[in-house]
Amino acid sequence: MRTVSSEIAGLEQEVAELRERLANAEETVRALTSGEVDAVATDAGLSPVLLRGAQERLRENERLLRAVFDGALDAMVLADDRGFYVQANTAACELWGLSRERLLGRNISEFAEPGFDFEKAWSSFRSDGRMEGQFVLVRPDGEKRDLDFRAVANVMPGLHLSVLRDVTEQKRAAEVRSRLAAIVESSGDAIMGLTLDGVITSWNLGAERLYGWPPTAAIGREIGLIIPTELREGEASVRRRILHGEVVAPYDTKRVRKDGSLVEVNITVSPIRDTSGRVIGFSKSARDLSERRRAAAQLEEVETQLRQAQKMEAIGALAGGIAHDFNNMLSVIMSYTSLILDELKPADPIRADVEEVARAGRRATDLTRQLLAFSRKQMLQPQVLDLSQVVLGMEKMLRRLLSEEVELSLVARRSLGKVLADPGQVEQVVMNLAVNATDAMPAGGKLSIEVANVELDAEYARVHHGVVPGPYVMIAVTDTGVGMDAATRERIFEPFFTTKEVGRGTGLGLATVFGIVKQSDGHVWVYSEPGRGTTFKVYFPRVEQAVTTFSMAPPEPATLRGSETILLVEDEEQVRVAARTILERHGYHVLEAHNGGEALLICEQFMAKIHLLLTDVVMPRMSGRQVAERLMPMRPDMKILYVSGYTESSIVHHGVLDAGIAFLQKPITPNALLRKVREVLDG
Amino acid sequence: MKAAQAAPRNGALRLQLYVAGESPNSIAAIRHLRALLSGYPGVKVELELVDVLKHPERAMREGVLVTPTMVKLSPAPRRRVVGNLKDPEVLVSVLGLSDAHRE
Repeated sequence: MRTVSSEIAGLEQEVAELRERLANAEETVRALTSGEVDAVATDAGLSPVLLRGAQERLRENERLLRAVFDGALDAMVLADDRGFYVQANTAACELWGLSRERLLGRNISEFAEPGFDFEKAWSSFRSDGRMEGQFVLVRPDGEKRDLDFRAVANVMPGLHLSVLRDVTEQKRAAEVRSRLAAIVESSGDAIMGLTLDGVITSWNLGAERLYGWPPTAAIGREIGLIIPTELREGEASVRRRILHGEVVAPYDTKRVRKDGSLVEVNITVSPIRDTSGRVIGFSKSARDLSERRRAAAQLEEVETQLRQAQKMEAIGALAGGIAHDFNNMLSVIMSYTSLILDELKPADPIRADVEEVARAGRRATDLTRQLLAFSRKQMLQPQVLDLSQVVLGMEKMLRRLLSEEVELSLVARRSLGKVLADPGQVEQVVMNLAVNATDAMPAGGKLSIEVANVELDAEYARVHHGVVPGPYVMIAVTDTGVGMDAATRERIFEPFFTTKEVGRGTGLGLATVFGIVKQSDGHVWVYSEPGRGTTFKVYFPRVEQAVTTFSMAPPEPATLRGSETILLVEDEEQVRVAARTILERHGYHVLEAHNGGEALLICEQFMAKIHLLLTDVVMPRMSGRQVAERLMPMRPDMKILYVSGYTESSIVHHGVLDAGIAFLQKPITPNALLRKVREVLDG
Repeated sequence: MKAAQAAPRNGALRLQLYVAGESPNSIAAIRHLRALLSGYPGVKVELELVDVLKHPERAMREGVLVTPTMVKLSPAPRRRVVGNLKDPEVLVSVLGLSDAHRE
């Protein structure tokens, strides 16, 4: 029974399972017949068979993907395991510049730049499964394109997708932008960007320099940051006008710096537009006008100096010419007064009158010498000097000269640079400046004289007419006197220009300073304001030579008389006669010639020895030097003494006598002439 | 039926849904199943989607012959529903859901 009942139970379970499977089968059939099924598995293998609806749906999906693939703006390519292209979209064909047929089957490595390690990149891509970055595509036509790419491996088994974007134009645009930005940044002008509301959006280095605010502090702030309060409304209206299409010409205005100080600027405002032409902001560039004003003022100053220099040149030429004629006349006056005085007995009633003439002659000689100094036609005996030594050596003399109310301060370090100048003339310069300073301090004050090495650089030379940049030694003479205004400063070096009361000054002191300094290739500048004292700065070019020792004055000859024969060549009749008279009265035998031709003739005809040729230098037709050169072959033993009132000549260059030449400066005075003649004959 | 009703309360309802890619009935089945389950927030469901186009071997193993087919793995008994699951009553009955699961 038990087995029967268990059999029945087994059968019942079998029936239940069969029912279940039947129900399942019915359910499947129902689903199939009602069209609720997409796919049916087959026993043929692992791929299910898709029913019609599902197939269509898949085809639709494929069409969709195809459209997306081909319609994409980015280039897309599918490559196989070895990197050969098996699919490419339209954008890819355009990027490569190839038809699809020609692109497919090519390898990625064919389009890389030389040096690109394809093997390494490809294996790294395959192992990572993806890769992105930049790539330079070399097209078959040789053109290079910059690409951003992203690659995904095995989008389908054995197929690898690359999406590539051409960023060449973007990159170029970025380069242009960065170049422009660099230009803006390096501009000397302050350049900034503003929003329509006047908020600062960019701020270059020039802006930081001009206004003092760094970009971090300025960007994001209102432009009012740098505009004085009272000008803000005006600036806002400029922006409104530009917004309404008006072109606003550059204008001058003021800005305020971080430190609160004002700066004058010239502003250019332009609209910034977007690609559609809409104004989206403003660019403002500001140029510092103080710089331009300073440059203009400097230019004007240099022009003034140039005009001044030209004027001084002209006056100098005039003064030099006058001095030359004066010297000849003074030679006559001084010679004859001297001769007359020799003849007169000590008690002669006329003696005092003649002495008065002689005194006037000496004063005129002095004036003429100063005129020559001013016109830079003075005889110089330049030596290598230590200026501090010269100035310190004058201290005693200066203290004697100054009134008790004037305090003297000498600042001169020893062993300064050396200069090439005539020590006597340098002393003259310092003395004249000291006298001038003292006169400017009638109630007393302080006189400082400083000697120092200075370097005058190109910048200094640019604003000081005639200055050659280089090392100089400066003598600065400063007083605490009344000072002077610009009009006076401009004329201070002119001869006979004086601010002193009539009779107190000759008006030649500073003119002499000017001439001496210029003749020594130096410079002199004056700095002064009324009531603020005056500083004269004298610059002499530094030289690299050892100091020459002061030459001793020649010993005084024992006698002024002689019996030698002298050939006297002088075109000025009166001067010649005066000289002859002086010489003859002192025992000499004089042969007279009034030009070179006569001198030659005499030399040929005169049989005895001629001991000395005494010749004027500047003569018409044949100069004194030429005369000497013609006579020397005939009379090699004859000594030569040149006389001239004019230094610029065939034997003197810039006031410096050629070596080994004896020279006598006009005007001739009997004493000087006789001494010099004796000196040359005995030498 | 008692055990079936009690099961969802104790453990998760584990389901597999066999589909063929994005075929229309497969998509519909997913939509219908999700819509129904959203009405029973109290039920914890683990649903696995099996694409037979990608994994045909899994369909063979499970004996799934057609798609879409939903298989209830647990709680026991194992049940399956073929078709696009458009009949919520059948689903409620097969999954053993009750009003108690609606909160």
